[in-house]
Amino acid sequence: MARGRSLLAYAATRGLLAIPMLLILLTAVFFILRVLPGDPVLALWGGREPPPEIVEAARHELGLDKPPWLQYLDYMSRVFRGDLGRSIGEFYRGKPVWGEISSRLPATVELSVGSMLVASSVGIVTGVVSGARRDTRLDVVLRLYGTVIWVIPIFWLGVLFQIVFAIWLGWLPPHGRWQGTDFPHPVTGMYTIDSLLERNPAHFWTALRHLVLPCLTLGLVLSGFFTKTVRANMLRTITADYAEAAHARGVPGRKIVTRHAFRNALVPVVTVLGLQFAILFAGAVITEKTFSIDGIGLLLLESVVSKDMTMIQGIVVVYATIIVGVSLVIDILGAVVDPRIRL
Amino acid sequence: MQRKSLIIAIVSIIIVVVIIAAAYLALVAFKPKYQIELWFNSDGHYGDTEDELATVLKNSIEACGKVQVTLHSDIWANYRQLRNQGRLPFFLLGWYPDYGDTDDYISPFMGSSGSPSFGSFYSNATVDQWIDQEQTSTDPAVRLARFTDLQNKLADDVPYIPLFSGYSETAYASGVTGVELHPISFKWFIVDKPNSAVLNASTTDDITSLDPALAYDYFSIELVNQIFDTLLVYEPVQARLMPGLATTVPTIANGLVSADGRNYTYNLRPGLTFSDGSDLNASVVKRSIDRAIRLNDPGGAAFLLYDTGKLGREATNGNNTRVGAITVAANDLDITFHLSAPVAFFNDLIGFSVAAPVPWDYNQNAAQPDAVGSVRGSGPYRLTGYTGNQQFILSRNPTYHTPALYASFGIPSIPVEDTVTINLRQSSTALKNDLSVSPKLADVVYRSISPEDLADLQSQATTLGITVEVAQSPFIRYLVFNVSPTSTAAIRDLRVRQAIAYSVDRQAIDRDVFNGNVEPLYSLVPPGFSFSAPHYQPVFQTEYGDHNCAAANNILSTLGFSMFVFRDLVARDH
Repeated sequence: MARGRSLLAYAATRGLLAIPMLLILLTAVFFILRVLPGDPVLALWGGREPPPEIVEAARHELGLDKPPWLQYLDYMSRVFRGDLGRSIGEFYRGKPVWGEISSRLPATVELSVGSMLVASSVGIVTGVVSGARRDTRLDVVLRLYGTVIWVIPIFWLGVLFQIVFAIWLGWLPPHGRWQGTDFPHPVTGMYTIDSLLERNPAHFWTALRHLVLPCLTLGLVLSGFFTKTVRANMLRTITADYAEAAHARGVPGRKIVTRHAFRNALVPVVTVLGLQFAILFAGAVITEKTFSIDGIGLLLLESVVSKDMTMIQGIVVVYATIIVGVSLVIDILGAVVDPRIRL
Repeated sequence: MQRKSLIIAIVSIIIVVVIIAAAYLALVAFKPKYQIELWFNSDGHYGDTEDELATVLKNSIEACGKVQVTLHSDIWANYRQLRNQGRLPFFLLGWYPDYGDTDDYISPFMGSSGSPSFGSFYSNATVDQWIDQEQTSTDPAVRLARFTDLQNKLADDVPYIPLFSGYSETAYASGVTGVELHPISFKWFIVDKPNSAVLNASTTDDITSLDPALAYDYFSIELVNQIFDTLLVYEPVQARLMPGLATTVPTIANGLVSADGRNYTYNLRPGLTFSDGSDLNASVVKRSIDRAIRLNDPGGAAFLLYDTGKLGREATNGNNTRVGAITVAANDLDITFHLSAPVAFFNDLIGFSVAAPVPWDYNQNAAQPDAVGSVRGSGPYRLTGYTGNQQFILSRNPTYHTPALYASFGIPSIPVEDTVTINLRQSSTALKNDLSVSPKLADVVYRSISPEDLADLQSQATTLGITVEVAQSPFIRYLVFNVSPTSTAAIRDLRVRQAIAYSVDRQAIDRDVFNGNVEPLYSLVPPGFSFSAPHYQPVFQTEYGDHNCAAANNILSTLGFSMFVFRDLVARDH
């Protein structure tokens, strides 16, 4: 019998594997951006055509007159020094890329975490109930929910929520992260956390109210995936030998579901959580647009439009690092929960 | 036997149907037509209606029966590059004027030096001479004659087809007053919310810079105009210049413009200061102009001063203005600009935000940071809050030089409100929601409301307790033909361009795309604005009209369209 690796060794191996993954991604993004049509230098001048000598001077200043391989080496060496460069786009020209990203990141993190909470809680509950009540009316309804909610366009659901909960009922703000001028004192940039840090319940309530609709929108759409995955796993675990054995021993059905089937059904769900974060970030772009949340997704949209190569690269680096980091943590968690993974 | 007969009958019927269908396709559907490609922007550079606009244009041209239009689109960064490279044969563009003079609707389009940047590459020596004459003459009669010649030539040669002048729109809570859709510069400092010192506003715009030397997009300029005054400013409603930091608008009549139109003198008000208390004198004005020209930011408008305004930019003078181009009097209140050639609309350029004076300690080698305390001007408001990409707060400038500046227009003191909070939104729907929820999240929403949301707000105005206003804007939209020698044969053929000019249906654009909010345009010069002598000549209306298919097809028939097909293969993706 092969000896299982220690958790530390497993974590170290996964961590080391993440490095070439990031390198490949950075390289791919760097070269893809350079072969796409459209001149980022000309884009600086908006609708006008500047004299050629001015264009060349700008190209030189931005280092875009160097051979691509030299630009690549410059870029990689700067990335490893933690310098993502300065924006070359129309909107953020000359501003540090990390400065812009870091000012927007808290909004996206807040939205993503909130949405993931909604997605996982709604998805897991519906998945478990659906799996435990297989082939009942409730199961059919929940399966239908899982399928329909997963294919609903985020912007459509968002607008629907805005109309119902903000305009008709007036319960929640329709968009934005804050209303008024007394923003929480910035520490993390996440208004919910910052208002808790300053122990201001009114501020926390304001921040939370602004988060509800966007998190519900994105979270519910993603919950469809969890519903279907958890249900499928529940069906597998609820008919597994250990569940049958428990049933034979007279363990109540509810207990079998909660103590045995549910726990084991969650293991594969945890492993795909990392992938869900990637989908979450993609969905966050649309959610931020719909709810006027000034996050990193909107920054990416603006950067693509203005052909801001350094900003796009910076955002991809940050996205990739977050997703790789989350995947790493989830892999390690999976290994903790199920030691067989380390084998 | 019967079954065999039935099968034969069915097969016979099928063969007959196929033959009839093939004949129809050969005679009607595959009838040779001119093939042209119409390009439009796909990423919202001109708003969300661009695909609808392109489709309506395609339909109106194709409805005449002899031209087939293929639509192509690209994002703005690529679109403008293809345009500049002369790779777009026929495409949609838009123009917002830099200065309030008819010249800004003519010379950049038709002059040999300006037309390549519009992708038309139109060049005509006589036209260049006419442009030179209208730019340098201060005689209104001469300018009118030249503008008439130029517009007639535009209709004759058809390098562009004017389509419509745009509109600006705003919606605000009932009771709010002073919301003026100014053609050049929206003024938050004249808006009044009764019984309140704070005005909440929303917009979908965002800034690129609050440094006057760099600001060259609508919202940046809009904010700069609240925070910085220029020597001349615009009246509250009309696009007419009036004294701002200067005491008088220079004219030849008052002796502040030399007879040859090359020297402009401005007398500053005494005792001017910036909001930080530092002095604003003629030396500061000169330093500010030199700074803008020296920085010459790629996205900025410094070219309006050194090129259009003929102040020059000399490497031997540290990339400042030409030596001797700006002189300051000993009293440090009078400043004179010595132009290398007369510029009839120099006052308009001095009223533009790029010419706004900035404090002496502004960064002389780079952009001034967009931060509270860093942005300091001499306008009615100060920047007192800036939450990155979310909110701007403008507060009363206690040292504003002339609060009674607009008293003669019925506004006793500016700014009217102590504070204006401008929240940045990401969509037109968000602006609509700001006025739809209870209580309202905004008192005024300004730019940009989509035609659908605008119609929605108009229909609910009474229920929501709001006022919706739509006004003409100096923004124009037009079609461009690339007439360079390297362009496609069909587009270079004047008769094809004229046929398309006959075909386009401006009324359909207005009705189907913009819900009746735009004004059909028959010259590149828009009508109805109080620019200095707009000289509007509706040459395309008299020469081509709208959707005149008979005339279009007459021209195309002379080309023998049924004998051959023009097929222009220029698209990047072909």
